[in-house]
Amino acid sequence: MTDTMASVTKSLHGVLRPSVMISVAAVLAAALLGVALIFAMGVSVLDAVAAFVDGTIGTPYAVAASINRSIAFALVGIGFVIGNRANLVNVGGEGQIAMGGIAATAVALYGHVAGLPAGLPFLIPLLAAAIAGLLWASVAGVLKIKAGTNEVISTLLLSFIAVWFLYWCVQSPELLRKPMTSSATLPESLEIPDPTKLPLLTGDYSFPLHIGLPVTVIIAIIAAIVLAKTVFGLQLRAVGFNPIAASRAGISYSRMVLVSLAAAGALGGLAGGFMLLGDQYVLKDGFSSGYGFDGLVAGLLARGSVMGVIAAALLFGFLRSGGINMEMVAGVPTALVMVIQGLIVVTLAGAAFFIGGRRT
Amino acid sequence: MRDPTRTLVEPLLVLQGVTKRFDSLVALSDASLDIMPGEVHCILGENGAGKSTLCNLIFGVHVPDDGAMRFRGESYRPSGPSDALTSGIAMVHQHFSLVHDMTVVDNVILGQQSGFVKTGVWARRLERLANDYGFALDPYAKIEDLSVGERQRVEIVKCLIREPRLFLLDEPTAVLLPDEIAALLNVCRRVAESGCAVVLVTHKLAEIKKAADRVTVLRGGRVVARSDRPAEEIDALVRAMIQGDVKSLDKSAASALGVVEAGSDHAGQPAPTETPAQEAVQIDGLSVIDGQGVTRLDNFTLSIGPGEIVGVAGVEGNGQSELAAVLSGMAVSSRGRIFLGDIETTHLGPKEITAAGIGVVPEDRHTVGCVVEMSVAENMFLNRLEDFTSFGFLRRKELMQAARELMTRFDVRAVSPEVAFSALSGGNQQKAVLAREITLPKLLFLLAAQPTRGLDVGAVAAVYGHIRAACQDGAAVLLISSELDELIAVADRIVVLYRGRIMGSCAADPRERERIGAMMAGQAP
Repeated sequence: MTDTMASVTKSLHGVLRPSVMISVAAVLAAALLGVALIFAMGVSVLDAVAAFVDGTIGTPYAVAASINRSIAFALVGIGFVIGNRANLVNVGGEGQIAMGGIAATAVALYGHVAGLPAGLPFLIPLLAAAIAGLLWASVAGVLKIKAGTNEVISTLLLSFIAVWFLYWCVQSPELLRKPMTSSATLPESLEIPDPTKLPLLTGDYSFPLHIGLPVTVIIAIIAAIVLAKTVFGLQLRAVGFNPIAASRAGISYSRMVLVSLAAAGALGGLAGGFMLLGDQYVLKDGFSSGYGFDGLVAGLLARGSVMGVIAAALLFGFLRSGGINMEMVAGVPTALVMVIQGLIVVTLAGAAFFIGGRRT
Repeated sequence: MRDPTRTLVEPLLVLQGVTKRFDSLVALSDASLDIMPGEVHCILGENGAGKSTLCNLIFGVHVPDDGAMRFRGESYRPSGPSDALTSGIAMVHQHFSLVHDMTVVDNVILGQQSGFVKTGVWARRLERLANDYGFALDPYAKIEDLSVGERQRVEIVKCLIREPRLFLLDEPTAVLLPDEIAALLNVCRRVAESGCAVVLVTHKLAEIKKAADRVTVLRGGRVVARSDRPAEEIDALVRAMIQGDVKSLDKSAASALGVVEAGSDHAGQPAPTETPAQEAVQIDGLSVIDGQGVTRLDNFTLSIGPGEIVGVAGVEGNGQSELAAVLSGMAVSSRGRIFLGDIETTHLGPKEITAAGIGVVPEDRHTVGCVVEMSVAENMFLNRLEDFTSFGFLRRKELMQAARELMTRFDVRAVSPEVAFSALSGGNQQKAVLAREITLPKLLFLLAAQPTRGLDVGAVAAVYGHIRAACQDGAAVLLISSELDELIAVADRIVVLYRGRIMGSCAADPRERERIGAMMAGQAP
C-alpha cells in the first residue's frame, strides 16, 4: 500500500518536474513560431487558429480521428523505446506499418474470417498484422546478429522494400488489387467486410474511437512494467549499455536484439492493422502515410519513457488533424504543419540540452 | 632540512594554496608546492589522491578554483595545454596519443611545424636527442611496430624536442617491463641533470628510491608530507600515503608496491607440498589465431591444481587477453581443449562457463566486468539475476538485501546498493566484481586478469586476501598480471608468456626475478 502511495506521489511530482515544464515551454514556443509563420504568409491568423481548433477538438469526430492517429504513433513509439533499451534504433516503423496493413487486408479479405464468432473476424487480421511486422523487423534483427548489419540501415531499407511491396500489392490484380472491371478501376484493394472492421467504442460513427485505444493503453502499461520491473527489462538495459559485459554475465545478446526488434516490429505491424481495420478499410498506395516516421519521432522525443511516447503521440496526432483542417478551411498548406512539427522536434531537442542527461 | 645549495636557486614552479573542485568533489585542496630546476620531483599518492589533477592544473587542462601558480618568477595562468607548451612545460600522459600507421619522425613533427615537412632534418635532430639521453630510437620505424616501452620513448622525445623547462610524467611506468622502467628512470635523471625539472607521478615506492630528489605526498587532495631525502624516509612516506603503518600492510601488497623486497614466504599461504591427485584445470594446447591469420596464443598448455595460484607473467599484448577471453567463453579457440575437472569447457559460452564454476575477473573492468550505468546491486548479481525473480518480475528488495550483505562481506563502500556503479571508486568497483565472481555457488576456478590495476594499496590488499581465501577453499586460480612483483608475491608458480607462447616457468621466488624479466623480453630460459 505504502508503495502505491509512494509511487503516486512520485508520479505527481514527476508531472511538475522541470523536464516536463521545459518540454511544454518548447512546444508552446514552436506553436508561437508557427503562428508567426502563418502571419508572415498573409493568412488570417484567427481563421487559421479557428480551423486548427475545429480540426482537433471542434467536433467529437475530430477528437476521435486525432486519437486514432495518435494510436499508430504511440505503438510505433513504444516499439522504438523497447528497441532503444537495447541501444537499437528501429527506424523501420513505416515498413512495419505497411506490412501490417498488407497482412491485415489479405486476411480480412481472403482469410475466410468474416463468418467467425466472438471478435475473431477482426482479431485474426490484427494478429496477422502484428506477426507480419514482427517478421519484417526480425529480418533486421537476424542481419544484425549474423552479419553485424547496422539496424538503422537495415530497418530503413526494409521500409523502402515494404512500401514498394505495398505498391505492388495494390497494383497487381493477382495480389490485393480489386477485380479490374474497367480501365478506371483504382489501384486499391476491395473494402474489407464489415465484421472485420474494428468495433467502435461508442458504436457511433460521429465519434469513431475504436478498440485500438484501450488495446494501446494496455500495451503501454505492459511495456512500461516489463521495462521497469522485470529481469528481462533489466537485461535489455544491460545489453544496451554494455553488450560485452552483459554477454560475459550470461545474457544472450542475440536473444535481446532479436526479441526487442521483433517486439518493436509487432507493434508497428499492429499499428498498420489498426489503421486499416479501424479507419481506412481499403488498402491504398501510400497507406502508411509517414506515420512510421512520426511514431519514430515520438519515440525519440520521449527519451526512453513510455509515458513520454503517449504524450508525444497525442501531440502529433492532434497536430496532424488540426493541420489537415487548416489546409482545407483556412488555406494554410499542410507543409506548414510539417514545419511546426519540425520546430517542435528541434525545440524539444534543444530543451533536452538544458534538461541534461536526465531521462524523462 | 633543505639542501643549502638549493636555496640559492629560485624555484621554477611555485603552487600556492591551489584548490580544484569538480562539483562537490574536492580533487585538490590548498596544495602548495615548489619545484626546483634540475630536480626529479616525485608526486606520490594513491589513486584519487589528486595526482593527475595536479598535473592537469600545471599543464593547463584544468583551471584552479583557488590559489595561484608562479612559473619562472612570473604569474602563471595557462588557459590550455598550448599555453603550457609555449611556457616550456611538456607532459607525457598515461595514455599515448600517437598515430599508429605513421613513422616515429612523422609523429614527432605532427603539431610542431607548419609549411614544408623537412623529415630528414627532424630525423637527425631526433637521433641526436635520443643519443644525448642514452636511448635508441629509429626515426623511420612505424609506431605500430614498436613495443609499449618504445612508444613511450616517442612520447618522451615529442616532449623533449621542445626543450621544455618542466617535464611532467603521469604514471609513466605502469606499462613498462622491469628493464624499461630502469631505463626510463635513467632518462629522467639525465633530463634533470640538463637543468630541466622533472615531475614524476607515481604510486610505486621503488621508483622513488631510485630516482627522486624530493617527494611530495598527496592524500585525499591534500599535501600530507614532503621529503628532501626520500630514500631514507620511505617508511614515513608510505605511512603518509596510506595513513597507516607499513607493518600493518599485507605483505604481498607491500612487496607489490616495492615497499619491501618480496619475501619467499607467501604471506602465510602454504605452497602445495604434494602434487594434488587430480588437476582442477587442464588447458591443453590452446591456440588462438585472429582474423588476420596471426597466431595470438600458441599451444598454451598448463594444469592448475586445486588451491594453487598460477601466475601468468608477460608484457601486455603477448597473448594474455586472448587466453583470458577463451577461458571465460568470450572467444573461441582455434585449437586445443580446456577441462574443468572432468568437464570439458572448451566450447561453452559465458553462461555455461559461469554455471560450471568458473569465476572471471576480467582485465578490462569497464568493458567486460560491469555495466557502469546500472546500480551496484544489479552489477553484483548481473550473472544471476534470475535467482531474484518470480514470474519474470525482479524481487528488488531481496536483491538489495543480498547486495547489502555481499557489500559488507567484501567491504564494497557505496552509499547504497541502489547507486550507479559509476559512482564507486575503482577499488570498490573491483571488489564488487570480485565479490560477484568469487561467490559463485561452486567456484572451482578463478581467472583473475590484472585484478589490482589502478587500485590503491588498501584495495590491493583486499583483492589479494579474497583471492587467497578462494584458493584456500580449494579453487584453482590463474592470475594474469603485468606486475611482476604482484605475481611473485601472490602466485605459487609463474609461467611467462611471450608472443603467445609459454617462454618458460619457474617458482614464484624473488630470486627468479631477473630470469623472469629476461623471459618476458623474449630470451629463452
